[in-house]
Amino acid sequence: MSFPNPATSVKLVLLGEAAVGKSSLVLRFVSNDFQENKEPTIGAAFLTQKCTIGERTIKYEIWDTAGQERFASLAPMYYRNAQAAIVVYDITKPASFIKARHWVKELHEQASKDITIALVGNKYDLVEDDNEEDGLRKVSVEEGKGLAEEEGLLFFETSAKTSYNVNDVFIGIGSKIPETNAGNGAAPADQTGGEGRIDLTSNSVAANRAGECAC
Amino acid sequence: MAFFEAIRDRAVSTLNQVLDKKNPSGLTKDQLFCRQYSLPDYETVLNESAAEVEVVSDFTTDAYKGVSSSMGREQFPQGRIFLTQHFIVFRDAYDKKNCSFTIHLSTVKKVERLPAKDYGFALSIHTHSKLQVTLYLVGLRSESERFAQTLKITLKKNLPNVKKLSPFIHTCYSEYLLAKNNISSEKIESVPPSGLGQVFKFPGNPKESRDKSKMKLWFDLFRVDGRNLSLVKTPMFYRLVRVGLPNRLRGEIWELCCGSMFLRLDHQEEYKKILEDYGKRKSLATEEIEKDLNRSLPEYAAYQSPEGIERLRRVLTAYSWKNPEVGYCQAMNIVVAALLIYMSEEQAFWTLNVLCDRIVPGYYSKTMYGTLLDQRVFESLVQNTMPKLWDHITKNDIQLSVVSLPWFLSLYLSSMPLVFASRIIDVFFLQGPQTLFQVALAILKVNGEDLLKTEDDGSFISIIKDYFQVLDQSAHPNSPNPKYKSITKFQELLVTAFKEFSIVNEEMIDVHRNRHRDTIFQNISTFVKRTELRNLPKAKNISPETLSILYDRFYSIVQSYSVTMASGSSLMDFKAFKSFMSDICEWVKPETSTDPADDVFLHHLFSNWDSEGQAALSLSDLVVGLNKLIEPDLMTSMSNFFELYDFKHKGKIDREGILQISEDLLYVTGPWKDGLLYDDITVNAMENAVADEVYKANTSNGDDGAKKDEIALPSEVQIDKQKLESQQIERYLKGASTFIQRAFEYAQPEEEEILIKDLAIDNSISHNAALNPNTPVFLNLPTFRMVILADETYELLFSRTLRKSINLEKSLDSKVNTIRNLRDMFDGLLADGRKVANKVRRRMDSAASSALQVNNNNSNSDATSMKSGRSKTQEEEEEQDDDFGVISIDEKDKDLLLGAEAQVLIDPVSNEPAKNKELQRFHKAEQEAAAASASFKSGTKIDDANLIEFET
Repeated sequence: MSFPNPATSVKLVLLGEAAVGKSSLVLRFVSNDFQENKEPTIGAAFLTQKCTIGERTIKYEIWDTAGQERFASLAPMYYRNAQAAIVVYDITKPASFIKARHWVKELHEQASKDITIALVGNKYDLVEDDNEEDGLRKVSVEEGKGLAEEEGLLFFETSAKTSYNVNDVFIGIGSKIPETNAGNGAAPADQTGGEGRIDLTSNSVAANRAGECAC
Repeated sequence: MAFFEAIRDRAVSTLNQVLDKKNPSGLTKDQLFCRQYSLPDYETVLNESAAEVEVVSDFTTDAYKGVSSSMGREQFPQGRIFLTQHFIVFRDAYDKKNCSFTIHLSTVKKVERLPAKDYGFALSIHTHSKLQVTLYLVGLRSESERFAQTLKITLKKNLPNVKKLSPFIHTCYSEYLLAKNNISSEKIESVPPSGLGQVFKFPGNPKESRDKSKMKLWFDLFRVDGRNLSLVKTPMFYRLVRVGLPNRLRGEIWELCCGSMFLRLDHQEEYKKILEDYGKRKSLATEEIEKDLNRSLPEYAAYQSPEGIERLRRVLTAYSWKNPEVGYCQAMNIVVAALLIYMSEEQAFWTLNVLCDRIVPGYYSKTMYGTLLDQRVFESLVQNTMPKLWDHITKNDIQLSVVSLPWFLSLYLSSMPLVFASRIIDVFFLQGPQTLFQVALAILKVNGEDLLKTEDDGSFISIIKDYFQVLDQSAHPNSPNPKYKSITKFQELLVTAFKEFSIVNEEMIDVHRNRHRDTIFQNISTFVKRTELRNLPKAKNISPETLSILYDRFYSIVQSYSVTMASGSSLMDFKAFKSFMSDICEWVKPETSTDPADDVFLHHLFSNWDSEGQAALSLSDLVVGLNKLIEPDLMTSMSNFFELYDFKHKGKIDREGILQISEDLLYVTGPWKDGLLYDDITVNAMENAVADEVYKANTSNGDDGAKKDEIALPSEVQIDKQKLESQQIERYLKGASTFIQRAFEYAQPEEEEILIKDLAIDNSISHNAALNPNTPVFLNLPTFRMVILADETYELLFSRTLRKSINLEKSLDSKVNTIRNLRDMFDGLLADGRKVANKVRRRMDSAASSALQVNNNNSNSDATSMKSGRSKTQEEEEEQDDDFGVISIDEKDKDLLLGAEAQVLIDPVSNEPAKNKELQRFHKAEQEAAAASASFKSGTKIDDANLIEFET
C-alpha cells in the first residue's frame, strides 16, 4: 500500500486503570494480535502505527502507560504535548469507569488545550452474550455516552480480543485531529462535527477499515 | 511479636523515608554503619578498635589464597574492627575489597586470648566454618581490654540465639555442598529449600555459563574463607560474583550480599506466620497482585504451573501485609518472579524486604518518588557523561525515561533475557543501586553511534530493544583475533559499565539525588494535591483556589503528613482540628487556651463532621463541614446549624440541645460580644457617624458642598466609637438572652404539633409553661429559624457575620493576627473612603434638596441628615420585624424584648457596668432554664453538667 501524502504524526496517549486492556488495544491496532496474559506495562511502552483516513495518512505515536494507581504520577511525563488520548475502562468493572472519569478531568486540566480524547469501554467480548439482567456488563452504554457527551469526547465500546471496533477508535480520532500540515489540504472537512462519534457497530465495517489501516 | 516488629519496621522505614527526603545524610552513625555493612537496622556499634587480622583455615594452603599465614605479618590486612549486638565486623582500612568480614556471633565457637608477642593484645576467634580469625588489637591496652570484655559480655548475651544457627544453616546450600563433600562436621541429609529453577530448569545453558567450574571455585572459597554467616570477603569473592554466580548458589549469595540473610536468621518463623495470620484476607494490594500473577515472566515454565504461581502469590501478598505502606507495585511481580527462580520463598521474601526498604527505597512506594528521582538523576548523568548524546536526545525531544524507567524499576528483568539480567543482579546485590546506573549508561554508550542517528522515540526505542536481543552475539564479529571475537556484547556491556562508568559511584549518585530531590517532591506533591482535590466532594461555597489553600493548611497541620504516604490517608485529630480552626476562625480561641469550655463547640463540630466515626477528620470531612458552615443563604445556613444539634435526624432538638445551642451561640459570638470585632450593623453606624462628622466639617467650612465633585476626607475624624462599641456589645448580649428565652417560650411540647401562628395568639402557652420541666419540649427547624430571625443581630450572624469570620482564603504563611486590629478597621473606613464619601455625598445631596425648600441653614440640614441616617436603621429594623410578622408581641413578652430598655442601659462613658448588668441578666435567664431542666427527671446528669458550666 502506498501513501499519497506524507504522514502527519500524532502523539497519542493511552490512560486507564490497570488491566482494562490498554496494551491489548494497542497490540490489536498495531499488530492485529492478542495475548491472553500480557505482562503489565512498566512505566510506559511506545509503539507506532500508520493509519489512512480518506486522503490523509496519520502516523500514530502511541504512548501506552501503566495503569496501576501509583504510576499515575508518571503520567504527566507521557501525556505532555499529546494531541490525542484514549481513556480506557473495562465495561465489566465500575471502578475502572470512575477512574476513567478522573483521567478525563486530569487531561482537560493538564494536557494540551485542543487534545482529542476518546473514551473507550473495552472487553465488549465479555458482554456480547449478556442477557438483560445479571450479565457481566456493569457500565451501561448510556453511562459511557453520557460522560462522553458531558466532556466532549468520542465514545466507543471495543473488544481487543475480537478486534471489535478497535480500528474505529483510531480512525475516529484521526478524523477529528485538525489538519496541521498545510500540504495536506484535503482534510475530510471535520465534519462528523459535533456528534464526533463514529459508532460503526458492525464487525464487517470494522474489519473493512482495518484493511485501510495496515502498513 | 510479629505485630510489634511490623510496627517497628514500618516506623523505621517511614523514618528513613522522611530522613531520606529531608536530610539524606541525616541517618545516625549506627544506621549508616548498618547500611554500609548490610546489617539489620537494629544493630549498634558497641565497641571498636583498630586491628590487624589474620585469617587461617584448615585449608589455607590452597593455592589461590591471598591472605595466608605463610605470607608473613606485614601482609595482614589492617583496618577497623567493630562489635555490635550480633556481629563482629572488619574492614580493611585502605580497600574494603581487600579484606572485610561480617561474622555472626552465633557462629563463634571459641575465643582465645593469645600470649602477647610483639603485639600487645591478640584475640583468636574460632568459627563454626572452621575459620580461625586472629585479631591483633592496636591501641591502648586498657582499650583493648575493654574490647575483649565487651566481646565476652556480648557473646554471653547472644547465647540464646545460638540454637537458631543449626536449623538455619540447614537451609543454606553452601553448607549442604560442604557436608556432602565431607568437609563440614554438620550432617545435612536433606537438600535445602531451593528456587523454582531447580525443578523447572534455570534460564540459559549451564554449560555455556560454565556453571560447574564456577561451583568448584565457590566450593574452594567456602572452605578457605568461610561461608554464609561467617565469611571473609577477599578479592576472590568479588571476582567470583562478577563472573556470574552458579545458578544453584545464586540465591544464597544474593541474600548474603544484600544482608537479607541476617533478617531471615533473626525472624525464622515470621514469613510463615504472616501467611497464617492473613490467610486469604483481601486488600487492594492482594487484588492488584491477583491481576498480575499470570503476567509475571509468563514465558518461564514455572509461571505456567500452579506451583510457581502459588509461590509468587505467597511472597507478594506476605510482603504487602508486612509493609502496607508499599503494598504492591507492578514490576515487583517481575522482580519476585525472578528471585523465586533462584531462591526459596523465605529467601525471596526477606530479599524483597531489603530491596524495597533499603536498596531502592521509594521505587515501589505509593508515589514512586524514588523511581522518579532516579530517572532524573540518570538523565543528568547522561548529560554529564555523554553530552553529545544528551544534546541529541533533547533536540529531538526523545523521552529517555520511556526506555530507562523499566530498566530501573524491574532491575533489567523485563528488558533483557533472564540469563543476562540475573548477571546484572549478581552485581547489583553486591554493590547496590549504582549498578543500575552504570549498566544504563553503558547501554547508551555502547549504542551511542546508532542512537545519534535516531530522530524520534520510536527508532530510539527499537535500537535498544534490538540490542537486548543480540547480547549473546560477538561484540567484534569481524575481528581476526579469536579471543576478541569470542567477547559477547553482554561482556562488552559489563566491562563498559563497571570500568568506564566506575566513577558513577554512590557518592556521585547521592550528589545528584540531592540536587533534584526537591523538584521531584514538588512535582509529586502538586500531582497528589491535584488528584486529591479533584476527588473531594463538591463544595459550592468554596472556590477551587480556596480549596487549594485549605489543602495546604490541612496537610501542614496534620503532622504525620508526608508525601511518601498514600494520598488521602492522612487524618486530622481534634488537636490538629482546633489548631486548624483557630488559624482561620476569629471566634476560636488560640490553641494555647486550655479552658475546656472553649472547646465545646469545636468538639461538637468535630464529631458532627467526622463522617466515618473514627475520631478523626479527613480533608473531605473538613471541606464538607466548612462548606456548610459558610453557607451564604440565610435559610440554609440556619438549617445547617440546626442540624448540628439534631442528633437523631428527627427534625427536633430537645431541652439539652437548646441549652447547648445557646451556649455555643454565646461562644461563637464572643469576639463581637466582647467588642473585639465589629459586625456590619456597627460598621454601618460608624460610617454614618463619620459621614455626619465629615459633612459637618465640610459645611461649617463654608463650602458649598453640593457643588463639590470631590469630597475631601479628613485624615482623622472624631466619633464616639465607644458608644457604638457598647451598643454592639449590648446587641449581642440581648441576642443571647433573647434567644434562650424565646427558644423555650416557643419550644413545643413533645406530644402535639402546634402551629406557629397559634403561639402568637394562644396565651395559655406561656414561656413559663415551656420552662416547666415536666413537659418535655423540643425545638423544630421553623421555630429555630423564627427565634433567630426575631433578632437582628443573630439574623446577621447567620447571613453574614459567621461566614465572614471564617477566613478560608487566608494564605498559609500569613502571620497576621486573626482578630483584626480594631483600630486598623476603623482607620480603614477612611482609607477606603469610598463608602463614607458616598454617604457624605448623600447627605450633601439631601441638604442641597432641602436647601431648595428651606433657607440655607447649616444646623437644619445637619439635623435632617442625621435624622435620615437614623430613620434608615429604623427602616431596616422594621423590615426585620416584617420578616417574622407572624408573631405579634404581647404585653407579657415586652420585658423580654429589651430593645427599649437597652437604650437606657447604655452608658457611653463606661459600658462596663452595663455589660456586667446585662451579663447577669443573661445568666439569670440561663440559670432559670438550666434549673428548670435540672429538676427535669429524665436527664439530670446532662443538666448537672450544664449547670456547672453556667455557674463558671
